[in-house]
Amino acid sequence: MQPGDIFQICNVVAMAGWLALLASPFLPKLADRIAALAIPVLLAIAYAGLILAFWSGAEGGFDTLPNVMQLFTQPEIALAGWVHYLAFDLLIGAWEVRTARAERILFLVVIPCLALTFLFGPAGYLAFTALRAARAAISSTSQAGVAQ
Amino acid sequence: MTTDALMTQPRFFNASLAAELFRRQPLFAGAALCLLVLMAPTLFAMAVDQRTFLDINVWIKPFKFQVALAIYLATLAWFAGWLPASVAASRWHRIFSTIVVLAITAEMIWVLGAAALGVASHFNDSSPLAIGLYAIMGVLAVVLTSGALVYGVVTLRDRHSRLNPVFRLSVGIGLVATFALTAAVAGYMSGTGSHFVGGAHTDAGGLSPMGWARDGGDLRVAHFFATHAMHFIPVFGFIASRALPASKSRAAVYAFAGLFVGLVGYTFVEALSGRPFLGLLS
Repeated sequence: MQPGDIFQICNVVAMAGWLALLASPFLPKLADRIAALAIPVLLAIAYAGLILAFWSGAEGGFDTLPNVMQLFTQPEIALAGWVHYLAFDLLIGAWEVRTARAERILFLVVIPCLALTFLFGPAGYLAFTALRAARAAISSTSQAGVAQ
Repeated sequence: MTTDALMTQPRFFNASLAAELFRRQPLFAGAALCLLVLMAPTLFAMAVDQRTFLDINVWIKPFKFQVALAIYLATLAWFAGWLPASVAASRWHRIFSTIVVLAITAEMIWVLGAAALGVASHFNDSSPLAIGLYAIMGVLAVVLTSGALVYGVVTLRDRHSRLNPVFRLSVGIGLVATFALTAAVAGYMSGTGSHFVGGAHTDAGGLSPMGWARDGGDLRVAHFFATHAMHFIPVFGFIASRALPASKSRAAVYAFAGLFVGLVGYTFVEALSGRPFLGLLS
């Protein structure tokens, strides 16, 4: 299997996880098993296999930016890095969906956070955290208002 | 406390095998499960990595070790269910089984690491570090195999066991034989510099699925049978204890154990004389 083929397969697999998250209001348990367990495990197997096979032969390192860039000049390592994004972004997306459900946040307002997490990982996490903070502030303010 | 699920029926056939293993020896069962999980990325690496060692994919050896050690741990976990309760629950048993699992962990890291680097793990004399690691791993291999010895001795000495006495004898002999025969064969092998005797020093075209040499002797054959004494002898003992009267089944177990040691000896001498396994047949 060539790195390009694995890249395509992993993208499709990750996309299935995101679709499961979009369908989560209708099948919360199934979506959770797919997006928070099954697909991250599959991607983790691919990632770990790539690292086992290609890390020892890779040039570069984690210590300086040029070294990290050097790592990513090798297709197999760049692929592993991409699979890392796919796996962890999906895990965070699944966590956002679970947290929103537990805190009774309207799913419609979670969708933009999911889209951001899908495209730009940490930006989506930031958006979701901001959303929760805003809700917490609003509810404490309104409770204070009731108390008066 | 059921110490004899296999012998009293039919509970074993209702319960899931994995759940029973975890009930009998959680640590060994858990370690076997970890090895099972580790097979997934190892197989993935095999699929994407073109590098070879002795002409076969570098990841075949770690995969074979994962399979072998998972079977070993699962078997020990099964036999642990027949240890006396006082031993199974004891502090030294917990400490000892932890040491066995740590030794297996170290072996696995060593074999995986060598595969990742594309170098030899066993028989590696390329640097002082490699020689030192090989020596340490030899000691740890004895430690991990001593799990069979300890379980075997405890099983043989357990006079209050609810197991059929002939079957218990076969389990004990099988476990002790695994340790003694493996230590002898593998100990000799580690001192020779290679498990190949004559023939090309290549794993290509080996006897599948084990990969044993077809063009010369291969000491791994004797190692295989030595280590699987803990399976062959108890299986024979289980059948003999049911099919034969008590007086004859005991003698049959001793005779079978003797024959099995003979088989290991035969495959050992066969390999030393440079002949492939089953060479007479092919």
